[in-house]
Amino acid sequence: MLWLWILIGVVVLLGLFVVLGYNRLVRLRNEVDTGWANIDVQLQRRADLIPNLVETVRAYATHERTVFDEVTRARTELQRAGTPGTAAEANEGLTTAIGRLFAVAEAYPELKASESFLSLQDDLTDTEDKISAARRYYNATVMRFNTGVQSFPWLLVAKPLGFREREFFSAQGDTSLPQVSFATGAARDA
Amino acid sequence: MTLQEQIRSNRLRSGLVVFGFVLLLAVLAGLVTLALDISLGVLALGFAAIYGVFALVRSRSLIAGLTHAQEIAPEAVKPLRRLVENVSIAAGLAVTPEVRIVEDSAPNAYAAGLRPEKSYVGVTTGLLATMPQRELEAVLAHEVSHIRNRDTYLMTIATVFAGVIALIADVGFRAIAYGGRSRRGGALIIVVAILGFILAPYAALLLRMSLSRRREFLADAGAAEILNDPEAMALALRRLAQNPSTIRYAEASTAHLWVESPTDRVDSQRRGVLALTSWFNTHPAMDARIAALEEAGGFRLPETLPAGESFGVEHDLI
Repeated sequence: MLWLWILIGVVVLLGLFVVLGYNRLVRLRNEVDTGWANIDVQLQRRADLIPNLVETVRAYATHERTVFDEVTRARTELQRAGTPGTAAEANEGLTTAIGRLFAVAEAYPELKASESFLSLQDDLTDTEDKISAARRYYNATVMRFNTGVQSFPWLLVAKPLGFREREFFSAQGDTSLPQVSFATGAARDA
Repeated sequence: MTLQEQIRSNRLRSGLVVFGFVLLLAVLAGLVTLALDISLGVLALGFAAIYGVFALVRSRSLIAGLTHAQEIAPEAVKPLRRLVENVSIAAGLAVTPEVRIVEDSAPNAYAAGLRPEKSYVGVTTGLLATMPQRELEAVLAHEVSHIRNRDTYLMTIATVFAGVIALIADVGFRAIAYGGRSRRGGALIIVVAILGFILAPYAALLLRMSLSRRREFLADAGAAEILNDPEAMALALRRLAQNPSTIRYAEASTAHLWVESPTDRVDSQRRGVLALTSWFNTHPAMDARIAALEEAGGFRLPETLPAGESFGVEHDLI
């Protein structure tokens, strides 16, 4: 009789553990999804600015075909990217291409002084800042989720329930990944 | 703790604080009933409820009025608006808080609003005039993390309750002191009631202050995490501490909202002898806050602050 009770107790505890672990991981995964949606919005906004930018530059600099093609190709690449890793690579590629476009623009004083070019440039800078802000949040959520998936005891439920580690939004050789979480450390001090 | 866990623990804490305040209110109403009259006790509670609800509903504009924060069109302060947007994105807020400007030469900032979607960040012109971009961003991140952690919600509730309690205690005290005829009960009860009326506001203050000190450390840490740059927050705090000016419309009722306490400095100079007074400080000492950041980030702040053009001057905002 005693054994039966112990058995029931163990089963209940195990069930509780699975439920708690599952809820925790779902919560962390939702944060990652929200974080990714934030990046996606800004990447889309950046991609949307490109056609306009190319048209504006083309109006002054008609003979720079190769640069236009390169920027357009980089944009398509970004829109086609399916995973955070490839999107980050494509985003880097677009940055390089846009850099080249701006270098070309240097040679055309009228273009550089034009109202629409200046405002496009401003919008692009703003979008880039927002991408890097969204990336900080996203990478922090990925960090928390991955830690959740990898650490004991949750790793016992993570694999069977289908929680897989997520990819950081970072190009190769990127060193700006989040440092340790400060929040918990300082909270203890307080 | 993950962010969601922090928010939940803050909600729990809010519940406990509200419970503490309700308990305090009940004790006050009990004292009024014992020392004066049952009808007065009911009246006091009813009045407290109405006043409390009104103050909560109107808190956003009440606080804006108390701090003299002006609404401003986003286009008029576009660069500042963008910084707030970026910080909010990095914090994972769904809606970017509004920006309001306080015409004051002392550098300071605060956040207010019951819900994150309806919050705003108040920034003094002095802050724009003294802070370079990196440090301004840190201050904004500090405020945004107050909003994200639901500190603004918690502190608004605490402010309203503290106000109600101070009011009832004051009225009760006067009723006993001057309303000779309505007095009831023995001498002992009267003495206890008077003591209660005197001490209740301090108890409320203590509840409120102990809360806000802890929240400051959390918001500093949150800002460091949002920007991935704990040094920026520490530098900003150092610059705030070095600036001797305090804001004009500093009031005890809103002191706990600001990033740097507008009243503690004055208080600690006035009552420096009593170590006890630090219990009533709304903010931990700046040195303690900087040290916490230094420890978490593993760096030492340089002796001299880096010179740099302030954000306000750079972007022509002031």
